[in-house]
Amino acid sequence: MASARRIFVTGMGAVSAAGVGAKPLWEAARGGRSCVSEAHFIRPYRGRIRIAAQVQDFDPGVYLSSSELPFCDPVTQYLLVAADEAIAQAGLAAAKPMGPRTATIIGTGIGGMHTIENGLYLSLVEQGRPDPLTVPRLIPSACPSLLSIRYGARGPCFAVASACSSATQAIGMGAHLIRSGLVDRAIVGGTEDCVSNSAMLAWEALRVLTPDACRPFSKGRNGMVLGAGAGVFVLEAAEIAEARGAEALVEMAGYGTSADAKDPVRPDAGGAAACMRYALADAEVDAEEIDYVNAHGTGTTANDATESEALGAVFGTRLAKLPISSTKPIHGHALGAAGALELIVTIGAIRENVAPPTINWREADAKCPVDAVPNEARPMPIRTALTNSFAFGGINASLVVRRAAAA
Amino acid sequence: METKTLDHTELANEIIDVIVKEGMVDREKATLDATIESLDLKSIDIVMILTAIEEKFDVYIPMDGPFHEAKNIGDLIDAIAAYIIKEKN
Repeated sequence: MASARRIFVTGMGAVSAAGVGAKPLWEAARGGRSCVSEAHFIRPYRGRIRIAAQVQDFDPGVYLSSSELPFCDPVTQYLLVAADEAIAQAGLAAAKPMGPRTATIIGTGIGGMHTIENGLYLSLVEQGRPDPLTVPRLIPSACPSLLSIRYGARGPCFAVASACSSATQAIGMGAHLIRSGLVDRAIVGGTEDCVSNSAMLAWEALRVLTPDACRPFSKGRNGMVLGAGAGVFVLEAAEIAEARGAEALVEMAGYGTSADAKDPVRPDAGGAAACMRYALADAEVDAEEIDYVNAHGTGTTANDATESEALGAVFGTRLAKLPISSTKPIHGHALGAAGALELIVTIGAIRENVAPPTINWREADAKCPVDAVPNEARPMPIRTALTNSFAFGGINASLVVRRAAAA
Repeated sequence: METKTLDHTELANEIIDVIVKEGMVDREKATLDATIESLDLKSIDIVMILTAIEEKFDVYIPMDGPFHEAKNIGDLIDAIAAYIIKEKN
């Protein structure tokens, strides 16, 4: 994106297992403090896997009005609260309505999972009458559309549903819409909450959940831990942000996306490597310029080995020395929100010059020959960073972000 | 282990039945030394096989070490049988 319009991130916000706010999320990641605990469910849970990085003690009534709440699944609640934080940080709280030059693009794998589950329980088990707002609440597009309504953003508005790559694609699409000149600003990110009774059982059936601890890139890893939450960013054309005196948190430098076109569930190193290369090319940076990678790093046997192979293809002999961490053991795998939570962590890494650790790491696995920044955060200069999201269906997405002052 | 040899053989045959059905492989190809790759068994096929085994034997089989190290049908059967014998005892 360097040759065309430059794009700044001028605001960010989050709701996650670390609490409300981008700061608690980054601090948990930097400190290696896991937010995984025993999950709570509103109905009896018969699953064997009981741990998740669930959003707990979140009271939407504190943030949202009684007229908005009936339209909001938890994913929309998290999203709007995270967006308010991002908008406030960008200094745009008084800029409503934002008008036709602002896009709203939000990634979510499922959308209103809790509304779906509760609706099915009510209609099939209890033989009850569905809440009339069930449909507007569960649709994935409720996320971006309620965002557009909240800020009077009348530009392009859509949901991106690409499973675990949803948020990263939504962010990348927003950046490209700005670069193309279609809009000047985009409110982007992702939101998800599949820590529900039926969704957890379904994930358990896939055998990708760890029963004890998520330990990406480590020998003895045995699966991922589900997370939940939302991350939101305000992207703006650099000249527009500069004109109004907004501070750039980082520059959104490049976006890449690819499809493996191979297997519905098995990841492919070739597709992942292509995706990273596209993001680097889009940012017009060489692989040598990347100081830190926030990996997809789910902690499953297959992902981490395949991602390591793909990283090796892109970074070559630098692989063993390039800090590559996964913060998923801390905030969980938030699926359609994963890329957004991890971009917040990546931005924190650049702004504070600290590579956050891969916690729960035990010992090197020959299939993952990466420097996973095991267990302890590492202070180091970080100017340019890459963050990866890889999804079921072989959909890959990567972003390159860079220190704004050095852009 | 000697006392369980018969159990194991019987169990192995029942496990092969499940592998053949869920993995959609030819019975004659499902020999103990047949590699997982040669039968084109992907990770999702293993998931389907393990789920069917759980239903059949009413056990829980966690996806950990032995499955990732299994190279052939014999290894896979050993890994599965170990869990079944452990739970049933």
